[in-house]
Amino acid sequence: MALKGLDIFKLSPKKNCKECGSPTCMAFCMKVAQGAVKIEKCPYFSPEAMAQLSEATAPPMKTITVGDGLKLGGETVLFRHEKTLVSKNLYAVSVDTGMAPEAVDAALEAMKVVDYERIGERMYVEMVFCANKGNDPAAYAELVKKAAATGRTLILECWDEACAKAALEVCKAGKPILDGATPENYAAMSSLATAAGVTLGVWAENLSDLYDTVKKLEAAGNKNLVLDVTGKTAKETLANAVLVRRTALKDGDRSFGYPSIVNLTRFAKGNARLQTAYAAMFTEKYGSIIVMDTMTYAQALPLYGLRQNIFTDPQKPMKVESKIYPLNGADENSPCALTVDFALTYFLVSGELERSNCPVNLLITDASGMSVLTAWAAGKFSSSSIKKFFDENDIENKIKSRTLIIPGKVAVMKGEIQEKLPGWNVVVGPTEAVQLPKYMKDKEYEAAAKAAQAEAAAKAAAAAPAQEAKELTFEELLEKVPKIEVVDTGVVYKGHNPDAQTFVTIGERIHCISPSIRKAMDERDPGPILKRAAEQIAAGATYLDVNIGPAEKDGPERMMWAVQLLQQNFNNVPLALDTANKKAIEAGIKVYNRTNGKPIVNSADAGSRISNIDLAAANDAIVIALCSADGIAKDNEERMRHCHNMLERGLSLGMEATDLWFDPLFLVVKGMQDKQMDVLNAIKLFSDEGLKSTGGLSNNSNGAPKNLRPIMDATMVAMAMMQGLTSAIVNPCDQRLMETVKTCDIIKNHVLYSDSYVEL
Amino acid sequence: MSFTPKTQPYNGKINAVTLGTGDQAIIIGGQNVLPFYTFDAPIEHAPKIGVEVSDLAGEWTAPEIRAFYEGCVTMADYAKKAETMPGADFICLHFESADPNGANRSVEECVADAKAVAEAVSKPIAVMGCKNIEKDGELFSKIAEALQGKNILVLSARSEDYKTVGASVALAYGQKVGAETADDINLAKQLNIMLKGLTVPSGSIVMNVGTAAVGYGYEYVASTLDRVRTAALAQSDADLQMPIVAPVSPDTWSVKESVATEEDAPEWGSQEERAIDMEVATAAANLTGGADAVIMRHPAAVATIRQFITELV
Repeated sequence: MALKGLDIFKLSPKKNCKECGSPTCMAFCMKVAQGAVKIEKCPYFSPEAMAQLSEATAPPMKTITVGDGLKLGGETVLFRHEKTLVSKNLYAVSVDTGMAPEAVDAALEAMKVVDYERIGERMYVEMVFCANKGNDPAAYAELVKKAAATGRTLILECWDEACAKAALEVCKAGKPILDGATPENYAAMSSLATAAGVTLGVWAENLSDLYDTVKKLEAAGNKNLVLDVTGKTAKETLANAVLVRRTALKDGDRSFGYPSIVNLTRFAKGNARLQTAYAAMFTEKYGSIIVMDTMTYAQALPLYGLRQNIFTDPQKPMKVESKIYPLNGADENSPCALTVDFALTYFLVSGELERSNCPVNLLITDASGMSVLTAWAAGKFSSSSIKKFFDENDIENKIKSRTLIIPGKVAVMKGEIQEKLPGWNVVVGPTEAVQLPKYMKDKEYEAAAKAAQAEAAAKAAAAAPAQEAKELTFEELLEKVPKIEVVDTGVVYKGHNPDAQTFVTIGERIHCISPSIRKAMDERDPGPILKRAAEQIAAGATYLDVNIGPAEKDGPERMMWAVQLLQQNFNNVPLALDTANKKAIEAGIKVYNRTNGKPIVNSADAGSRISNIDLAAANDAIVIALCSADGIAKDNEERMRHCHNMLERGLSLGMEATDLWFDPLFLVVKGMQDKQMDVLNAIKLFSDEGLKSTGGLSNNSNGAPKNLRPIMDATMVAMAMMQGLTSAIVNPCDQRLMETVKTCDIIKNHVLYSDSYVEL
Repeated sequence: MSFTPKTQPYNGKINAVTLGTGDQAIIIGGQNVLPFYTFDAPIEHAPKIGVEVSDLAGEWTAPEIRAFYEGCVTMADYAKKAETMPGADFICLHFESADPNGANRSVEECVADAKAVAEAVSKPIAVMGCKNIEKDGELFSKIAEALQGKNILVLSARSEDYKTVGASVALAYGQKVGAETADDINLAKQLNIMLKGLTVPSGSIVMNVGTAAVGYGYEYVASTLDRVRTAALAQSDADLQMPIVAPVSPDTWSVKESVATEEDAPEWGSQEERAIDMEVATAAANLTGGADAVIMRHPAAVATIRQFITELV
């Protein structure tokens, strides 16, 4: 495993002298960690620090690669929620020299039967465990040869040197594990394994002997090991597996930092169901390789499902493939039901649809593994993404039915989808999956489809002769924006000095997720928008965020209208332009007045939205840069990597570093309580490099009762400002929060104290 | 330098909750270590197995289950037989047919069944409802009243109905109550606090913190179990020290692996064997994660998990 950038940074001189060619020590250390730069480029790293580095950054558990790239170990945590588990356990089927040749053949054939795909992962028995019961090298080599012919990676359980030698001759090219070292023979076995270039398995009567043997092997220079922790009973084996892993990860004793082998056939021989139970346990608790008598479909279906669940990265949702899933014998004439690719959504929806026994084509669209509402809010589940899915999968021609059922939760998209998919009858389905069986059985969608068809026909009849839609020029767009009326709201924006050090609050209340704002945006009704703007400005907001929703259709006009409306009514209040529609942001910036500060592009990330940095650079705007790519960053190592990717991109496009406002992504306490300090520490890391930061701070209190949210938000802002947070997207009407911000600005000596500071 | 294992018993301890009465009473919970970590400290009360008896058991098709319950007609017949299942510690009556969107059996009929069972069996009784909040509220209250003195477990009170269920089941009739949440540790804690706020004693509460068959979002269950146990033991969080009861069978017997017939999926082999292994693996995973009792259905699966527990404790 590579060194970690943050660990290197801790030992770095922290001079930010730029002599190495990197803008900061942190950036340099990140590059060193990625292998892009040699550490010697820094003239100030002391030799002591270098020595300490190699000691301190050795991983607690080795990653061992066997066979054709099968990875074992490399874990850093005991429980998946602490971070993630990295190497899924592997399953092996056991054969031995005591078995009749026909029985061996049958066992290997039976093993090969299980081979299927589940959520993008091939499920099969990765390894064959070849146990040597005698001392006949030829007989053992014969068995190993047969096993090797399956193409699976082998584990050679063999304590006899001559037999092991013969077996390795046959199979060493396939990188097997020689599971043969004991306290007695370890020296000879280790030389055999080293000579053949294979991993050595170590076993001993008890953990104390195992530990001593590993120490001796390590002293002899062999660290390519796995530990066979199998004891005489299941109870003893669990104790061994847990103690070995816990000693390595919790106590940092690297001599037990190796993957494990758990051999169920030693204490549950011949009892397939009991082996299933134990295999489930050791999948959760620290078996790297689990050896069983058999792996039938009955055993595989639950065990591989469990393994896939346990080894899913908690920060990255499980996704299913985006395609057509015909259910209950559906054909081209069966109706279509549409949803997102979040695995849990897929299982729920497909399960309920199957329960209905009605043939239906389930269409799974790519929504980055988000749930329906989350994907919709992030613009990942939109009429465009659905249209793209229809085009890419050639649904028009593959399916004759024209009934398309969409999730009830996104009923608002019906019109847009209908427009993008003329000829289809878009029907709003139920909001919950459990309602699907009844909905399908009662064929509720049929009447709705007819209504949709009639509606579409009526529209088509009423429509004027079709006009070629063409892109409007800026002037033509401006023409279409309703005239702005300046009204007296009684609130005046006091102005903002972009160079001031004071904390920048970005008011979040003009957001399309609010039905009244959405309606006002749709109808270009200034009233509700001005009202919310006035409230926020009166409460002391520095910037206002303007979220116009995904706005696929008329984004540019909408944004131009909103920007002019707000700036003309409130003394050119500075704005953050918030939409997934790039053209809308560009159009908004064109009519934007910079008196009180540059516009903010909300937002870019290090993944699919990285080009919003280019947009900001081209338009001399500030950009909010989310330190995430595909899902929430696992740790600050990853956050800082994203941060530097985006920073370098911005700088290379001529941006000022201070025009990238880095967002660590505030996480909800109810659910991600153990990650809060990570977020706060990331802010400190930004600040140490002189970078600015912001973020949707109130996300921390999401789902908490109303009376608690101001308390949580105010506390969070105080802690974050201590760490160096320079801005936040907040609800400025939260008085407790705003008073806290003002007080922090006083204590940070950004504002001169007076008895009236809170009222100012 | 040789290796001496560091043991890790905790100061925090899971509450020991008694179900049933007399010499057939059982205790769930009570340990101060992670599941089966006997090397850290001895585990006094092994995890328990409840056998599910549904009022729709007549519709169960698995041949071995049919054979086991041969001749059983009433719920009491089934319960009496279930009590003899090797490995069974308690009986769990599942009133599925009370569902207003299903057979909509009346509360009176269900209560009569529960009473008949209580007279016929001596092992402790747990009760599961039909998931309809209103119906369950009434059903639980009436059954708790009818079986007063039997020290039964009612599964479950949810955040929507904890007031009515908690007040009637635990306070008025002195039974044990389950607090049910779905993979949300914060809500699990809050629900326990609210039940205690009604003056339900901690020792009368058990938890169901979420269930799923393995492969079906079980990662959420696994992490919730891990986190609940860590909070209870390492942080001594008294609001999460209730023992956990995991109803396994209702989930595992409704997933595709158990439902698909041999004609549907010829390559998968015996349908009954698939269903057994699905139940076995899910129960084992729950017990490994932190469940102090599991509710199961198939005699072979129960026997396997009984052996699993016996070997490990």
